[in-house]
Amino acid sequence: MKKLLKILLWTGISLAGAGGLAAIAFERGEPLGATWFIVAAGCTYLVAYRFYSAFIAAKVLALDNTRATPAERLDDGRDFVPTNKWVLMGHHFAAIAGPGPLVGPTLAAQFGYLPGTLWIIVGAVLGGCVQDFVILFLSIRRNGKSLGQMAREEVSRRGGMIALLAVLAIMVILLAVVGLVIVNALKASPWGTFTLAMTIPIAMLMGLYMRYWRPGRVLEASALGFALIVLALVAGQWVAESPSWARIFTLSGPALAVAIIIYGFAASALPVWLLLAPRDYLSAFIKVGVVFALAGGILLVRPTIHMPALTRFIDGTGPVFAGTIFPFCFITIACGAVSGFHSLISSGTTPKMITREGHARLVGYGSMLMESFVAVMAMVAACALAPGVYFAINSPAGIVGTSPEAAAATISSWGYPVEAQTMNSLAQQVGEETLLNRTGGAPSLAVGMAQIFSSTIGGARLLGIWYHFAIMFEALFILTVLDAGTRVGRFMVQELLGHVWSPMARSGWYPSILISSGLIVAAWGYFLFQGVLDPLGGINSLWPLFGIANQLLATVALVVATTILIKMKRLQWVWVTLVPTIWLVTVTMTASFQKIFHSNPRIGFLAQARVLREQITSGAAVADRIGITERLIFNNYLDAAVTALLVGMVFVLIAEALFEWYRILSARKMPSLREAPYVATRWAEGD
Amino acid sequence: MSRLRRFLARCRAALRATRWVWWWFRQVSGDAAYENYLQNAATAKTLSRGAHPDECILSREEFFLDAMRRRYSGVTRCC
Repeated sequence: MKKLLKILLWTGISLAGAGGLAAIAFERGEPLGATWFIVAAGCTYLVAYRFYSAFIAAKVLALDNTRATPAERLDDGRDFVPTNKWVLMGHHFAAIAGPGPLVGPTLAAQFGYLPGTLWIIVGAVLGGCVQDFVILFLSIRRNGKSLGQMAREEVSRRGGMIALLAVLAIMVILLAVVGLVIVNALKASPWGTFTLAMTIPIAMLMGLYMRYWRPGRVLEASALGFALIVLALVAGQWVAESPSWARIFTLSGPALAVAIIIYGFAASALPVWLLLAPRDYLSAFIKVGVVFALAGGILLVRPTIHMPALTRFIDGTGPVFAGTIFPFCFITIACGAVSGFHSLISSGTTPKMITREGHARLVGYGSMLMESFVAVMAMVAACALAPGVYFAINSPAGIVGTSPEAAAATISSWGYPVEAQTMNSLAQQVGEETLLNRTGGAPSLAVGMAQIFSSTIGGARLLGIWYHFAIMFEALFILTVLDAGTRVGRFMVQELLGHVWSPMARSGWYPSILISSGLIVAAWGYFLFQGVLDPLGGINSLWPLFGIANQLLATVALVVATTILIKMKRLQWVWVTLVPTIWLVTVTMTASFQKIFHSNPRIGFLAQARVLREQITSGAAVADRIGITERLIFNNYLDAAVTALLVGMVFVLIAEALFEWYRILSARKMPSLREAPYVATRWAEGD
Repeated sequence: MSRLRRFLARCRAALRATRWVWWWFRQVSGDAAYENYLQNAATAKTLSRGAHPDECILSREEFFLDAMRRRYSGVTRCC
């Protein structure tokens, strides 16, 4: 009877999921409700977790709960600590959830809701979750070794170096692009700039509280920080309305970029307890809180989706970023579906804290499903906006013009009607001077979230507060990524410089800290500044570059996983990692090739450089802009070179892995695994 | 009477659930990290196991600084 009920339950969930997906895919004409997205995603995730992850756990990886994990064998109470699986899942989710699953889907909404939503759901279930789960398991079996170490030991010696360089390159591009998202969200916005600026002294106050007054009392300090942030948010409105204060906090794009660069340097060089750690605590709480609030808000409000299933921009002429659905939809939505960066977390602290191998399923596969759900919610929030409003916010001035009238006329001519008056009154309602040309995804997501939140609490009266709360929330945890990323980048630079002059490798030596912090900040700061100056909004070139880099890292992780599965003699199941690998190789290589060589100057870096060169030689470039045009030409060549370098490195790794597979499969080499030897657990089942 | 018993049982279950959520929240946030460390050190001493069973116990402040240093020495936040 119980079995029959289970069968009926799972049949019901499967049918509901299929119904949801069918509604999303085939509903035309009638406006679609957001509930369909929640049902489709939620039921697909439940079925995938119940059946596909169980299959991977049992057949592909053969998780063994009798085997002691590194947390048990090497328990030192600090790095290796056996941790409750629900607690570890919370840690892991907080670590993998960043701005990517919010910004990527918002940008990809320019293709319509259908391609992005399907990729988020299918990509996560068959690719992203599999990657996170398998890499976590492999790292557990190797005493918590990093992806780079596993690549070096299991694929080739060069593999480790490739992983290190790929991570460094991704870090630089990631930090630049998230910095650009903040700049575009805050430029000419005194309310937003004031609120975010206030988070710095608030974080420092929290740091002092946790360091001197009440050491380690994280919850007390976070509650204090949250209360002060709400005050700052409310005070921001007063600042924006005061002419003298508003002038101080109204900053241009370049000025904001410089401020962020200086901040990044300070956060990397200052003691970690003073700024980085308290901000991280604060943003983690707000992040998780807002994600749950957004889910609750969507379920309660059930907003109507106004964006069509497919827009005319599937042909690659989109104003948000240029490029056709294939490959650019799959590059743009990186973190919500497959994120190579997650493999660094899955082979970082998490494998050192897992109590049983069986928990890897919940922590690895389950956390990524939650991340994917966040991406679906971001897609809903973006698509709930009227398409005309969405394009007015996300289109750069170089395409739609700077005046509301010009932008409204251009966007309406695309078939997405919007009036200048609508944009003006929306800007007024949210307390901004203008919402036009706010590329980067954050402002349109904030408008979408504010509309959902204000429909639940406060109505139109609180739209401005909710908008700035959403902007503050996005900017806060983008800055956390910036802090933490710059610091990790600094350690990598110190490690690399240590090969040249050994004292540079001493992580606590202050001259080394300052030099390496300066180098890493200069690297991402350069790309950030180029994005701010780019007349196409910067996001057009930087976000695809980040997506390519991130997906290439996922390719590295999946190639390592496939190699190890072959060595484990799980040939019949190797398709589990091989299929997403082939897909990612196809997508990333196509996107990289197009970004470098495409003849459309909005897509191809080299074509763009050629067009700019012609502007100078033909005299079309204004005399005082020749210097900037020369710099843009150089930047395009640099972007092309970075893309080519990344692709080249991953090609080398793939070639070496293929050679390794060939030698093993043709019995020319005996496969040797670098697993830690089996030790039986001392804990009883259920501990 | 049975209705009251059912009500009390529900209250107890709700209390247990609230306690669990609070415990989970403290664990995930790191608020309970020092207590866990002390407990772990005591267990290690009793069983004479662990990497350094005889090492001196860190104060709350020392432990906090050490935890911060270790936490932010690697990739701990994703994009």
